[in-house]
Amino acid sequence: MSDTVADAAPADVDVVVVGAGPAGSCAATVLARAGHSVVLLERGPFAGSKNMYGGVVYPRILDQLHPQWWEHAPVQRWVVRRSTMLLTDTQALTVDFRTQSWAAPPYNGATAYRPDFDHWLAGLAEADGAQLVCATTAVGLLRDEAGRVVGVRTDRPDGDLRARVVIACDGVNSFLAKEAGLYTATDAANYTLGVKETLALPKEVIDERFGVRDREGVDIEILGGTGGVNGGGFVYTNLDTLGVGVVLKLPALAAQSARPEQIIAGLKEHPAIAPLVEGGEIKEYSAHLIPEAGRSMMPTLATDGMLVAGDAAAMCLAAGIWLEGVNFAMASGIAAGEAASEALRRGDVSTAGLAGYERRLHDSFVLRDHEKLRRAPALVLSDRVQHQYPQFVADVVERMFRVDNPAAKPGLNRIVREERKRSGLRWRDLLRDAIDGARTFG
Amino acid sequence: MSGDPIGRVRWSSAHSNIRSEWPEVSFEDRIGTTRFDVHERAHIVVDGAVCADCSTRECVVACPAKLFVPTADGGILFNYEQCFECGTCYLVCNREGAITWTYPEGGHGVVFRRT
Amino acid sequence: MIAVCWKWVALDDDVRWAGVSEADRAALEVALRLASAHDDVVLVVSLGPSEAEIGLRQALAAGAHEVLRIDASTELTSRAAAETLAIEIAASGPVRWVVCGDYSPDRGSGSVPAFLAAELGVAQALGLVQVDVAGPGITARRRLDGGRREELAIDAPAVISVEGSIASLRRAPLAREMAAKAAPVTVRPGPAGPLDDDALVAPFRPRPRVMPAPAGDDALARVRSLVQPTAAAGRSETVVADPPEAAQRIVAALRAWGYLADPGTISPAS
Repeated sequence: MSDTVADAAPADVDVVVVGAGPAGSCAATVLARAGHSVVLLERGPFAGSKNMYGGVVYPRILDQLHPQWWEHAPVQRWVVRRSTMLLTDTQALTVDFRTQSWAAPPYNGATAYRPDFDHWLAGLAEADGAQLVCATTAVGLLRDEAGRVVGVRTDRPDGDLRARVVIACDGVNSFLAKEAGLYTATDAANYTLGVKETLALPKEVIDERFGVRDREGVDIEILGGTGGVNGGGFVYTNLDTLGVGVVLKLPALAAQSARPEQIIAGLKEHPAIAPLVEGGEIKEYSAHLIPEAGRSMMPTLATDGMLVAGDAAAMCLAAGIWLEGVNFAMASGIAAGEAASEALRRGDVSTAGLAGYERRLHDSFVLRDHEKLRRAPALVLSDRVQHQYPQFVADVVERMFRVDNPAAKPGLNRIVREERKRSGLRWRDLLRDAIDGARTFG
Repeated sequence: MSGDPIGRVRWSSAHSNIRSEWPEVSFEDRIGTTRFDVHERAHIVVDGAVCADCSTRECVVACPAKLFVPTADGGILFNYEQCFECGTCYLVCNREGAITWTYPEGGHGVVFRRT
Repeated sequence: MIAVCWKWVALDDDVRWAGVSEADRAALEVALRLASAHDDVVLVVSLGPSEAEIGLRQALAAGAHEVLRIDASTELTSRAAAETLAIEIAASGPVRWVVCGDYSPDRGSGSVPAFLAAELGVAQALGLVQVDVAGPGITARRRLDGGRREELAIDAPAVISVEGSIASLRRAPLAREMAAKAAPVTVRPGPAGPLDDDALVAPFRPRPRVMPAPAGDDALARVRSLVQPTAAAGRSETVVADPPEAAQRIVAALRAWGYLADPGTISPAS
């Protein structure tokens, strides 16, 4: 696939950034501001046209790049309510948190349409001097005789683009990172499939059902409700639509018989979810892969002449109560831009010259969060957490709140003992998972 | 008699947690909500000979766009037009060389809008 | 010179969803092929707001030699658009071919090419599904009713319009695509207002026509002469004639039946 080109040919630009998602646009912005010539390639007709997600972006990392970003970001609603929900077939246990401090600048999380948000972010990179080239797919790497990456080949006629540094922000499937040999293997078990319906409802109906006003929004993350497939669900509010979807572990999805849209239908019919989504008309159906396994699946982040950032580098945090990706993409893009700029200034774009990238990531939340939560994805998607604990916990809570008169109230200890026995869970596993959980999240 | 057994059964099933027999929208209507600018070149190529002796058929259940359909004679019928370009099919496929997957021509394929 | 007319349509005020039709893109491809066969240059003209320059830059990237935007932010009638386009195209140099798409994304009437041919005083061939270079001219195939096709041999100068399926626009080479983004686009001022009365939108009113008094001595006979099917059948006539003569007979009949105004009579404003 890689094409060898002569050493002598000069680079067309300092940097080519492949993919105008959040990572690519931030990298391009940093580089353009530092005075480098940078081309931002996007395979879609416009930036954001290929992108969807589970609904919430945490843009505080933009403070350093675009102060007061909230004044012009194309946001749907500001999340003021975060709910985490455990679902069994007939029960729902919700931890619901609300704060009005997230309803005012600098905010915390926001719901947004990615075709809007990414388009906006790429526009900012363009305004800073990056050249955005849309409708152009990078189909391979250009290398010199020594094997160093010296550009990309695009699918346009005469489509070779030589650059001193290539930053691959080409998304979860990153064929460039794979071609460069930065991934050792691609294992389906590291990925989940996100599938979503955008449902139209009048704004007043959404406000009423979710207990919010104006631009206030709600994000509900759900454990269970995925028809026995390991994964989770989500419901969140846009201005006049809802995002309702599921995240499904690939091998588990492939090994059973319900199709993704049927699993969403099942979630929408759950008695705890149905009243929220009823009557919503499907406006768009979408799907995307998620690099779910976190730190354990991350590729080598740099090679001679090339860096990898965002989903392409599996920088997506899927750790149960934290589900983040766009912020990791933006932060890794910024770090990649800075490291590439530093390397260009020093005239050394080798792996060693680009080492500033990984160093920056280690110093920031990108790798810190991933290191700290490296065990979380496996724990959250484990069979016990997925299939046994929700039922066990919900049964304990149901017993706690059930009034069994004339019987007297049992103590909590007795309920836990009895329900554990009924669930078939072993103390040993419970203890191990509790310690694991404490170490992961503590 | 005011009792209309059919009507009553319908009413109760609509308000229970039993999964409806019929989906609320057909798959065609569902996928019809998403825009695709289809290019004439197929970006997915399936080697029918490899699929012929596959019994697990992961792609059939996992593809969110329902692009892979088993045929009566044991083959796989596939189309590439309404593809989300997610990559699920080639990742879940256990057969070496069955699915060759690339991105569509630049500017073509799925165009999301409100997601 | 070969001129291509592109209509930029923004259906909901968002450039991400705006653009030209596949037929317009096909028209550029046809023009580029004609240009390389006849060693000619292609000028793409768009009558529209500043966003139309996005489309014109795509045309430049794909290989157009020149582009021109005529500034117009309001919707014009087909005739007014054609008048404006004709003036600018004629001013740009001797035109051999004008190639248009036969529909726009807002599903117009496809009538601009016909008006354009009238304004430029050249031949027209509309709704083509195939265009081949034949010497200095072209041969083309046109869709007719009932699944029939018409083969045409067309000499320049002429206006042709093509269907979207006729060709797909070639991909722009990377360097051209990148250069086109910053390329200057010539802009000429558009019409200041509606160019003619036709620009005013009014409900359709059929033209009044003069009917002879019914023949007959008594009321019953006069009513019969009005409603008898033979009266209508009397209009049917089979003629064998040369095309020019046949055309004259048809026009004369339409005049006699009142469908066309007599020359010299003032047609009521419609």
